[in-house]
Amino acid sequence: MALRVNYFVDETVSNLRRNVLLTLAAVSTVSISLLLLGVVMVGGEVLTKMVSSWEGKVELNVFLRDEATPEEVKALGSQANGMPEVDEVFFESKEEAFEEYKRMFKDSPAITENVDPNALPASYRIKLKDPNSAEPVASRLQGQPGVDEVQFGGEAMKRLLKFTGVVRTILVIAIVLTLGAAVLLIANTIRLGIYARRKEIGIMKLVGATNWFIRVPFIFEGTVQAALGALVASALIYAGKVFGLDRMQDAILFLPLTVSSGSIIRMFFTLLGIGIVIGIFGSTLALRRFLEV
Amino acid sequence: MIRLENVSKVYKGSVVALRDISTDIQKEEFVFLVGSSGSGKSTFIKMLLKEEEPSEGTIYVAGKDIGQLPRWRVPYLRRNIGCVFQDFKLLANKTVRENVAFALEVIGRPKHIINQRVPAIIELVGLTDKLNSMPHELSGGEQQRVCIARAMVNRPPILLADEPTGNLDPSTSADIMNLLARLNESGTTVLIATHDHAVVDRSRKRVIELDGGKLVRDQVRGVYGLG
Repeated sequence: MALRVNYFVDETVSNLRRNVLLTLAAVSTVSISLLLLGVVMVGGEVLTKMVSSWEGKVELNVFLRDEATPEEVKALGSQANGMPEVDEVFFESKEEAFEEYKRMFKDSPAITENVDPNALPASYRIKLKDPNSAEPVASRLQGQPGVDEVQFGGEAMKRLLKFTGVVRTILVIAIVLTLGAAVLLIANTIRLGIYARRKEIGIMKLVGATNWFIRVPFIFEGTVQAALGALVASALIYAGKVFGLDRMQDAILFLPLTVSSGSIIRMFFTLLGIGIVIGIFGSTLALRRFLEV
Repeated sequence: MIRLENVSKVYKGSVVALRDISTDIQKEEFVFLVGSSGSGKSTFIKMLLKEEEPSEGTIYVAGKDIGQLPRWRVPYLRRNIGCVFQDFKLLANKTVRENVAFALEVIGRPKHIINQRVPAIIELVGLTDKLNSMPHELSGGEQQRVCIARAMVNRPPILLADEPTGNLDPSTSADIMNLLARLNESGTTVLIATHDHAVVDRSRKRVIELDGGKLVRDQVRGVYGLG
């Protein structure tokens, strides 16, 4: 068996070398297809992060009546905390609300001086696990003893959620489309490479090579080409991150624009896996026609 | 070595390629299969290699009914049969030595056997000085000798040749036939499909003639034309 492995490795290396043009064509096709897929994936990650950071800013404000008893306030807080949709609950007292108010308008002392520190209500600010649950949570809290009013962005937030939903759907469609294109392109390139060598396959059959003996070097080759393609694509994407996204991030601080090196490495393995799977299935399928003698 | 019992082959669309052929080729025989184009020679050869299945009848190769052979055993059948073709079927991007070694590599023979047998068989066909040449640097006769070396390096008991002299001039053809005769003397059963009159007439070997898919003649020391 050791001898056979040697044969397969020798055969793979010498075939890749002898058919340099075919190898280059295959590797560049794989690179470009995987690059497209990778760009969509990275773009998707950036967009998803951006969208989630907007959604994360959605919170409920539960304003309390001034005459609410400390017991009512406490009960309300623990009720909110007990809801499964709720992530975190902060209490803001009247004093804190006033401090916040002064901080917001610190450049216009005329506004703050005319407000009674007692005019602002105390409130609970509730962070949700999923911003879509804002409405049901709000309606449950509305009307509880001690509650004056519940605010949750209303229409504006509904529109934001609709928009982020559309963004996510488009992303999924884009990934499916580019993945489909990559599969077709890579499978087709492999088929051409095998077609160019159908004579060789015919001779192997005639001198009594078993189908697996013929198949294995092609599968090895497909795997090597896919791996090289994934490497090139990931390197280009990494360069794009360092020279493009990272610089944009430095210029625009308030939006999460860039991705971590870790997620590029994860993406490399994803692309590698996709490439190898397509390589193996593509060459096995393409060989089937020529092995039937 | 090769026995056909009432073999017929009908291609779909009811084209009859072979009609009720029965014949028996003994071990170490040298047989010509003659007939004009379309007489069924190629179908005959293809069925021995199990590239085509007979529509009726039974074919025995080396004592085994190849109709009973499962698909995955077909490569092992072919290792018993060396093949030589009119168009040589050499790999253009491999040298003479590599083309011959290829036949051993693909059946998984170890390197030391390859290194020992390949130069020996190339010497036998008289091409030692072309060991590292590429096929396009060789003449037609030399390419055919490489093809024969490849067919024989695995030491199969049977050699099939489909029009081996079809692309060669008369004196080169004679060389190739001498080489095949020598292989036959060393114990290989040889079956040659041809319509080269001169080659058949000179050899005075057994001749099986097909015409329109029927076996019309089986003569022990035959010539091409007389029937």
